[in-house]
Amino acid sequence: MTNHVALSKVEHKNIRIKTDRSVELGDGVMSCITVPNEFRNVQNHYPILFQLNAERDEFRLIALLGFTQGENLFLKNEKWDARYKPLAIEVQPFLIGKSSKDSSEHSVHIDLDSPKVDMDDGIRVFDNDGKPTEYLESIQAKLGALHDGYQNSPDYIKCLQKYDLIESLVMEIELIDGSVNRLVGFHTINEDKLNKLDSHGLTEMSQNGYLLPTFMILASMSNIVSLVDRKNALVSQG
Amino acid sequence: MSQAIKNVVIVGGGTAGWLTASLLAARHDTSIQVTIIESPEVSSVGVGEGTWPTMRKTLKLIGLSEKEFLTTCDASFKQGSRFDGWVTGDSDDSYQHPFASLINGASHDIYNVWKEFSSDRTFADTVCAQTEVCAQGLAPKQKNAPEYAAALNYAYHLDAVKLAKLLTSHATTKLGVRHISDHVMQVIGEKDEDISALRTREHGNIQGDLFIDCTGLNSLLLGKHYEIGFVDKSDVLFNDTALTVQVPYADDTVPIASETISTAHDNGWIWDIALPTRRGIGCVYSSRHCSDEKARSALETYLKASGSLLELDDLSVRKISFPSGYREKFWHRNCIAIGLSAGFLEPLEASALVLVELSAELLVENFPSDRSVMDILAKRFNESFIYRWERIIDFLKLHYVLSKRPQAYWQDHRSDMSIPERLQDLLALWKQQPPSRDDFLALDEVFPAASYLYVLYGMGFETRQKNSLKFLNKDEVIKQLQMVQQKVRTLTAVMPSNRALLTNLKKQYNAEA
Repeated sequence: MTNHVALSKVEHKNIRIKTDRSVELGDGVMSCITVPNEFRNVQNHYPILFQLNAERDEFRLIALLGFTQGENLFLKNEKWDARYKPLAIEVQPFLIGKSSKDSSEHSVHIDLDSPKVDMDDGIRVFDNDGKPTEYLESIQAKLGALHDGYQNSPDYIKCLQKYDLIESLVMEIELIDGSVNRLVGFHTINEDKLNKLDSHGLTEMSQNGYLLPTFMILASMSNIVSLVDRKNALVSQG
Repeated sequence: MSQAIKNVVIVGGGTAGWLTASLLAARHDTSIQVTIIESPEVSSVGVGEGTWPTMRKTLKLIGLSEKEFLTTCDASFKQGSRFDGWVTGDSDDSYQHPFASLINGASHDIYNVWKEFSSDRTFADTVCAQTEVCAQGLAPKQKNAPEYAAALNYAYHLDAVKLAKLLTSHATTKLGVRHISDHVMQVIGEKDEDISALRTREHGNIQGDLFIDCTGLNSLLLGKHYEIGFVDKSDVLFNDTALTVQVPYADDTVPIASETISTAHDNGWIWDIALPTRRGIGCVYSSRHCSDEKARSALETYLKASGSLLELDDLSVRKISFPSGYREKFWHRNCIAIGLSAGFLEPLEASALVLVELSAELLVENFPSDRSVMDILAKRFNESFIYRWERIIDFLKLHYVLSKRPQAYWQDHRSDMSIPERLQDLLALWKQQPPSRDDFLALDEVFPAASYLYVLYGMGFETRQKNSLKFLNKDEVIKQLQMVQQKVRTLTAVMPSNRALLTNLKKQYNAEA
């Protein structure tokens, strides 16, 4: 359930946001949206993949956090076990929303039904004078970065599609207990086609700044191995 | 006189007795046997009490879990004291004495930077972030912080009876302290000799090499047996009576204050100590200046103003009489008094438990392993603690001397005759220069210069400097003051309310148990 409302320094003056990370607090997700402007950090920890939307007509970029629905292998003792958290995770339970129905202006919204929202526990959003705390300021900056990246992603993906650089990915992951997890429905960069890209395509990619994120997606694939390690560690703990 | 000290016998099972027993047993190996004789007939005085930050170190040393301590002793976090109505008695008359240490820098620099750049803020708000955190009812740490670790320096408000109980079980089961529940009938030994044993009603004679008198105001060994005189200080600190009550919260959302609130009235003051489940409130007054009825009505007025749903008639009021002063010496022959048996001062700056800790620490860390060195250690102990008692008296008196309240009680407090000479000298000096480390010569002063700065400038004391002294490092001080304000911003956003943290830690403890 969600209940998105525009954040108000009057109505939400005293709320606090729990910054622990756990399934109970809504962090049990197997993937999250990611954007090219954070790939440099994301590719250190997470596989970056393409995923078709529900209508199967558009790709979106995600960071993979687990292998099955609701599984987030980065949750450990109510903390996030990696130095960098994707922006889409960091900003929870906040999001960007339109200031009013017809407005093109955007403002900070909050999901009031999120278990992260509390009156006693967590970090304040506004101080006693109604001014944003440093925490809210950092959320605003992250929402801004996420929003910018999200705006630019469709053009990037269209360009990749134009040169047919996205290919379907099927992986079978065998765990130490012998069980096999099949990773389906994801796509990645077709490395062969990228290598054979003609000078025209290379120029277009390069001029738009698309080469770097593309190679980062490729590099991020090695994180699947460490994700398997995390899963194996869980399996062996029973 | 060569004789190994192996058997330590403590008389009295209050917080003083059990803290001393626990520290002795925790810091020494099993070649020393600690025995505590606790009379089943004597009941402890149980009011809400404040400690100093030293209590964190003490409890950790004894080996107690902080969560267990907080939960079982009904304890909460204390970050200092707030003094309401001490200067004029007006509604906006309030200042804070936080536990935060000062920013680094020479007093002269800090004082002048405050006056020059930050005079719209109080001195305390300028030099530390803790006062604002307290004002907002926030805790000194977050829920995942390690036990006893502090983001902001803190002590406790606690139920002393429950602390004694927790220490009893901990000291007897974990630390090997022998517990004898019996009444001491007689002290064996002449007045000019060492004590050799204590005759009890049911356990015969309990022999010992060293005896610790923790019998409270009774002072059974040091006062009654050895007849060590009492240095009466009631001519400096007039209060001798308190009316105490335990007041429930209106409901479980009422904030739990993270500082002791001390509110002045016409003939004394009222303490308000917030525990997780109730407030402990006491009206302290001078019976020479004030009748019991008047004190009762001051307490009544305070209860109403502080949001109590119950009236005084609904509560059980206890009257306590107490002396002001200390024994001429605390360690005589093979007997040491620790706790109220050594002396008593009104609880204005929560000095009772800290004196127990300091006494026990000095004894424990410099334990006389042989009778031959005992007199040397005793002499040092006595010198050290006479100095400490005197400095505490000076500091308590300071709170009264700076008042402008017009009532006879307050005027008497300001008469030169009642002010110790050392304090008079210091006040004369501080009119010219702010308090600094040079005014306090002991290595570990009970109240450091910072405490004097908080109280003096909290109460509006004016230092008029002769400005020939230049700044030592002005830019650095300014930078630190800016960092204080940055810290205020960060801390007030991330710190949970005092109540929320206590509730959370209790939940954690119950889940672990």
